[in-house]
Amino acid sequence: MSVKKKFKGLSDKAVGWLFIGPTVLLLLAINIYPLIYAIKMSFTNFYANKIGRVPEFVGLKNYIKILNKEAIWEKMQVTASFMFWTLLLQAVIGLGLALLLNKKFKGNELLTTLIVLPMMLSPAVVGVFWTYLYNPQVGLFNYVVNFFYDFGSFDMIGSSILAPWSIVIVDTWMWTPFTMLICLAGLRSVPNYLYEAAEVDRASKWQQFIYITLPSVLPFLLLALLFRGIENFKMFDMVVELTSGGPGSATELASINLKREAFEKWKTGYSSAFAVILFVTIFGFGNVYVKVMNKIKER
Amino acid sequence: MDTSRSYLEPSSFSKKIAAAIIIVYTVITLIPISWMVMTSFKNVDSAISYPPEVLFEPSLEGYVNLFTNRSRQSAEYLDSLPAPDTWYEELVRSREMVITGPSKFLGRYSNSMIIGFGSTFASVFLGALAAYAFSRFRVPLKDDLLFFILSTRMFPPIAVAVPIFIMYRKIGLGDTHLGMIILYTVVNLSLAVWLLKGFMDEIPKEYEEAAMIDGYSRLQAFFKVVLPQAMTGIAATAIFCMIFSWNEYAFAVLLTQFNAQTAPPFIPTIIGEGGLDWPAIGAGTTLFLLPVMIFTIILRKHLLRGITFGAVRK
Repeated sequence: MSVKKKFKGLSDKAVGWLFIGPTVLLLLAINIYPLIYAIKMSFTNFYANKIGRVPEFVGLKNYIKILNKEAIWEKMQVTASFMFWTLLLQAVIGLGLALLLNKKFKGNELLTTLIVLPMMLSPAVVGVFWTYLYNPQVGLFNYVVNFFYDFGSFDMIGSSILAPWSIVIVDTWMWTPFTMLICLAGLRSVPNYLYEAAEVDRASKWQQFIYITLPSVLPFLLLALLFRGIENFKMFDMVVELTSGGPGSATELASINLKREAFEKWKTGYSSAFAVILFVTIFGFGNVYVKVMNKIKER
Repeated sequence: MDTSRSYLEPSSFSKKIAAAIIIVYTVITLIPISWMVMTSFKNVDSAISYPPEVLFEPSLEGYVNLFTNRSRQSAEYLDSLPAPDTWYEELVRSREMVITGPSKFLGRYSNSMIIGFGSTFASVFLGALAAYAFSRFRVPLKDDLLFFILSTRMFPPIAVAVPIFIMYRKIGLGDTHLGMIILYTVVNLSLAVWLLKGFMDEIPKEYEEAAMIDGYSRLQAFFKVVLPQAMTGIAATAIFCMIFSWNEYAFAVLLTQFNAQTAPPFIPTIIGEGGLDWPAIGAGTTLFLLPVMIFTIILRKHLLRGITFGAVRK
């Protein structure tokens, strides 16, 4: 005989919906609705600052305009090279630090906590105080560089050759601990018996590193790079405060350009189309990356 | 025999080398932060001296400038004033200025507090409910729903900022505390749900089943048995949400201006005579970063979980 209601109060199903409902509704209202709204606007010539003017439907015109615009591809290139260098440096330094920390010397927990501090700070505020460090007249960064090699006065933010590196350096300073922490978790997940077996087989330290350590830590490193890749594709706050996209447009990442079109020129329709393109790009790349990552994990 | 071939027990020599490199890295990585804290205790002249001063006479000028608005006055006018009552007035007078009133910093800071605490409470509360349901019940399309919740985090903030801006303007939420609390709650919800689901999965089902056999309803069991058990996880999640709201800049700079502006868009605008007032910016930065540094130290055991949405647990 089945007992329909074992316990008092609401059924589990009702509680389930009651618990999940508010979250889903909020996300629909503040995330999905604006996204659909943006997609709708991307087919119009809407200007958000011109209240009362009825926007016209323009079809794919905004999209065609963006994809044919040379300047947009320049921004994409700036974004791509920013992502390439930050991810590369963070992967190499982060993994290196993790390997060293994994030697479990005395005090490594305290040092880990201290190393992690930069990534918890507000990126905008970090951007501001690095403008001070980079200051060509009084900055500490310039002083230290000149201490080791006398370059004379140089302007990290004002020079269009150095500015892209200025944001790479700050992002690497800030986020290397992120890859480091995740790699460290990967290193600690390797079961000891693998190394024990390798030692029985007289595998050299180098062989142990190549055949045991690296393959075990790789999925973790790839996961860290996925997170960083998504974040850096959206990168806005730190760079706005550090270089505000300049000089000229040397550090104008896609999302900074998007902000200019949307909130300075108020080209709402056009910028919505750009936002949709960016979103599709990040989603597409993200999906391909996850598939590749899972293949590597399976091996 | 030399044991340095072993991966499991590095030789004491390689340990020492590793420790030395890590210590050097730690020192280098902490220099920018320490430099800002030091700058906050410099006076305006020493902050712009070259070579940069490592040893300097400490001054509270930065903090005074951060909290006050000042105006320059002629020597005759200053002489005609009665002697300054307080040390900070004296400090400002020595620069041939008078205090004209409090600055906006305190207001911006408390906006950050109000919006931070409000949105943290809301997202942790809603997140805990949803996480419990995902953890314990058979929810249709569970994986799809969870992925949907996570994917909302991938939107570039600027992409949704325009529609939210228009929407908020229509319903009167633009530049209000409530509007920002709702917005940050939503952004934090994905993190809260994913993290708390992980923590709740770790609480044995048997606890609440036992309570329900004793006559508790499902809701009572959740509030009286599961929530207290999940307290560590809830606290960790709350700190992560708080840090995010505290640090957030893009939405704040685009959607708030006068009433509900938080500290991150405000700090860069602290301007002294002839450019940015570095000691004041240093002071603002120090006061702003301090809570986050304390939180990070409290959180250290859960950091990894938090930054990966629970994907990596250790």
